[in-house]
Amino acid sequence: MSLLKIEKISKYFGGLAAVKELDLVVDEGEILGMIGPNGAGKTTAFNVISGFYKPDSGRVIFADEDITGLRPDQICKKGIARTFQVVKPFAQLRVLDNVIVGALSRTSNVSRARSKAQDVLAFLQMSALEDQLAGSLPIASRKRLGVAKALATEPKVILLDEAMSGLRPTESQEMIELVRRIRERGITVLLVEHVMKVIMSLADRIIVLHHGEKIAEGQPQNIVQDKAVIDAYLGEVKTDA
Amino acid sequence: MTTSTRADFPKLDASPAPRLKAFLRDWDSVEMVASLLIVGLFGLSPLVIKVPYYLNMIILTALFAYFGLAWNIIGGISGQLLIGFASFVGVGGFVTMVLLIRFSVSPWIGLPISAASSCLLGAFVAFLTLRYGLKVDYLALFSLALMMILKIIAQELDITGRASGMFLSFQKDSLINMTFVGKVPYLYIATGMLLLGVVIQYVTCRSKTGRYLVAIREDEDAAAALGVDTARYKTIALLLGSAMGGLGGGFYAIFSTYLDPALIFGLAFNVSLLIAPIIGGKGTLIGPILGAILNKPLSEWIGGTVSAQRPGVTLVVYGVILMVFILFLPNGIAGLLRVPHERLRVRLRSTERLRNN
Amino acid sequence: MDPIVYGQTLISGLFLGGIYALIAMGLTLMYGVMGIVNFAHGEFLTLGWYICFWAFTLDGIDPYIALPLAAVLMFVVGLAIQAVVIQPVLKAPFLNQILLTLGLSTAIVGAAQFFWGAQPRTILVSYARAGMMIGGVVVSYPRLVAFIVSVVVAVLLYLFLNRTKTGKAIRACAQSRPGARLMGIDVQRMFMLTTGIGASLTGIAGALLGPTYPFMPTTGGNFGFTAFVIVVLGSMGDFIGAFVASIIIGLAEAFGGLWLGDDVKQVVSMGIFVLVLLFRPQGLFGRKT
Repeated sequence: MSLLKIEKISKYFGGLAAVKELDLVVDEGEILGMIGPNGAGKTTAFNVISGFYKPDSGRVIFADEDITGLRPDQICKKGIARTFQVVKPFAQLRVLDNVIVGALSRTSNVSRARSKAQDVLAFLQMSALEDQLAGSLPIASRKRLGVAKALATEPKVILLDEAMSGLRPTESQEMIELVRRIRERGITVLLVEHVMKVIMSLADRIIVLHHGEKIAEGQPQNIVQDKAVIDAYLGEVKTDA
Repeated sequence: MTTSTRADFPKLDASPAPRLKAFLRDWDSVEMVASLLIVGLFGLSPLVIKVPYYLNMIILTALFAYFGLAWNIIGGISGQLLIGFASFVGVGGFVTMVLLIRFSVSPWIGLPISAASSCLLGAFVAFLTLRYGLKVDYLALFSLALMMILKIIAQELDITGRASGMFLSFQKDSLINMTFVGKVPYLYIATGMLLLGVVIQYVTCRSKTGRYLVAIREDEDAAAALGVDTARYKTIALLLGSAMGGLGGGFYAIFSTYLDPALIFGLAFNVSLLIAPIIGGKGTLIGPILGAILNKPLSEWIGGTVSAQRPGVTLVVYGVILMVFILFLPNGIAGLLRVPHERLRVRLRSTERLRNN
Repeated sequence: MDPIVYGQTLISGLFLGGIYALIAMGLTLMYGVMGIVNFAHGEFLTLGWYICFWAFTLDGIDPYIALPLAAVLMFVVGLAIQAVVIQPVLKAPFLNQILLTLGLSTAIVGAAQFFWGAQPRTILVSYARAGMMIGGVVVSYPRLVAFIVSVVVAVLLYLFLNRTKTGKAIRACAQSRPGARLMGIDVQRMFMLTTGIGASLTGIAGALLGPTYPFMPTTGGNFGFTAFVIVVLGSMGDFIGAFVASIIIGLAEAFGGLWLGDDVKQVVSMGIFVLVLLFRPQGLFGRKT
């Protein structure tokens, strides 16, 4: 069953199309990976889904409801949570208080929010860090905190924007485990990633973006051999050299 | 890892109740108690202090601490760059004065109406700035522009006394008019207001609203992604802070018995409102109070002595203090106090962990 | 109404516009390059004027001769302020930046009050009222000179920013700080130059106001605020736009003063402020990250 549908979403910035007529379907319970070279429009797509950008055309449908143009907080309440590529902790607050903010989206009772937050942190094996100031955490913990905050909002879908970037291999592995456990909890995952190994091991399906358009979609093992995909990435490699 | 029996740590068994430790670990509770203590001291001061000059200083200190708490809700806690706070204070002042002098309405009714008027102005500001998604510099500039506009309006209207302002004259004590010959009744009212401010801030900070406001301050986008309707909560902060400012402004007018639009909507007065929360520590509860205690007596003294002969000294002091603190102590005195408290907290936590093992 | 009065007002408007242009250009530069809103900018005007006032009262130096002195002094003052006060807060939260420059502004106003008193002062030169008659309209020499100098300085600034290596380096910093560093530009030096130039321009404006305008410690702030309105509302990244808008605002204020009375003159800039807010709300610079 398709939980999240993006129909012909376009977003322009001063004449340049960041995303052009993008179609995307996320089925309930799956892990969908979104890859593409830099500037392919992945984060733009995320921003449109989560309400930070209004699309210039197209619709976002969630659980058969048109949520196009809703504010980010409204979208969160509907059941879509996200993390940010550049982590955004509430630096001056403690870890627990960070997560409480997320939990408060479902309850107005602060003590209930607190125990919910503690549960989430326990799920992420971060209980020992409850008391620490978020700003003093190393990058890996900050990324996990971002996930914790998102999970505390009891989402049906979670958008993970480059959750692995900046992590060391062991930390990456922990994050991969985490994503699997999130799915086991019944949460659908849409993740943007640069690291192919991560995507290959996690994603049920992959869609590939390039210059704001979808150029391929399918099973990981097929995508890896898809000519258009290889060209897109090789093209990027060439310019880097 | 070797386990230790309780016998190895006799001290812990004899230590003070865990409740006290939990209390000490909580910065908010420590702040609250300290603030209440100070308010209590203010309230009890007339028993010890009789000289009107010093009583006057205490009243002003309490009042500016209160103003600091009011601004804090907008600027310190929710992080909105509203600089022209004098707008709300001045409006409150004029509403109360006009109601009393022109319409013989008791300030006991006038003050709440002042609060409501300033709150209305706050709603207007919120509407203009948030509806258009205008932030940061714009809000700061707009709040200053508002001050100038209000000054001009007050100077042009007859009801507000035009350029000469409004005077309140009285012969004897009158409770209903909130006019007193002596200072002590004013002191009780000012202290009462400060208590109100402390309670409001404490309760707000612990509530969902307060947590949302801080989240907005720390990172507005992240907050929105977590379900926080940022426009709504920023408006709430503005409404609350402006209402509080208006209430204080009404009292300030009555207490000073004189209201000059050029002064109360002026940049100097506006800066004086901001000094306490900035040097004390914006975003904290005890910050504005500490800041007022440090600043107000000093500036009153300067104003009375040096500045009376050569004007401008007070302003230079304000400006320099502001700069020095922003450059070297941006989190204020309270921020400084948090460092040892944090260490204490870590120690208490670790001893508790050892105990629990 | 009387065409002569209109003519006078026109001259006043152009004069004011020229002054605003100098202030606004400095402000635009500082914001564009460093992303900082300098609330003390109007006080540079104050300092520029009081330098000339002092030079005149103590040594009888004519304001127009003191003008280069003011320009140089204010340049140095700008460098100092940048190094000591502004540089440390460039990475701090915006609230801190604003409070800092507000504190600076307050301190300068207080210092001006301390040294020169709170009451209005004028530089009484013999030619303060001199002028020529053009078709019945008195064109005051000082005002004319002020306008001409404004235009000249604006042109020089434009040439500096677009034709000289340093000027282009400054513009590069405005576009992208990391990019500029990659090109080997000493960003910190450019910042200091920027503030120095901004202060100097405003100091020149102060000197130009010299013979014609009674000055109080708070006058600079008033001019500064209007300059803010010009820069902030117009979202003018370029200086030509800032210059033109300054002239327009200057004329608007002059005619506003004519119709509404001098006290309410400020209402005009406020009014424009609110109008642009309602009809062009995006006409504000978004904060640079």
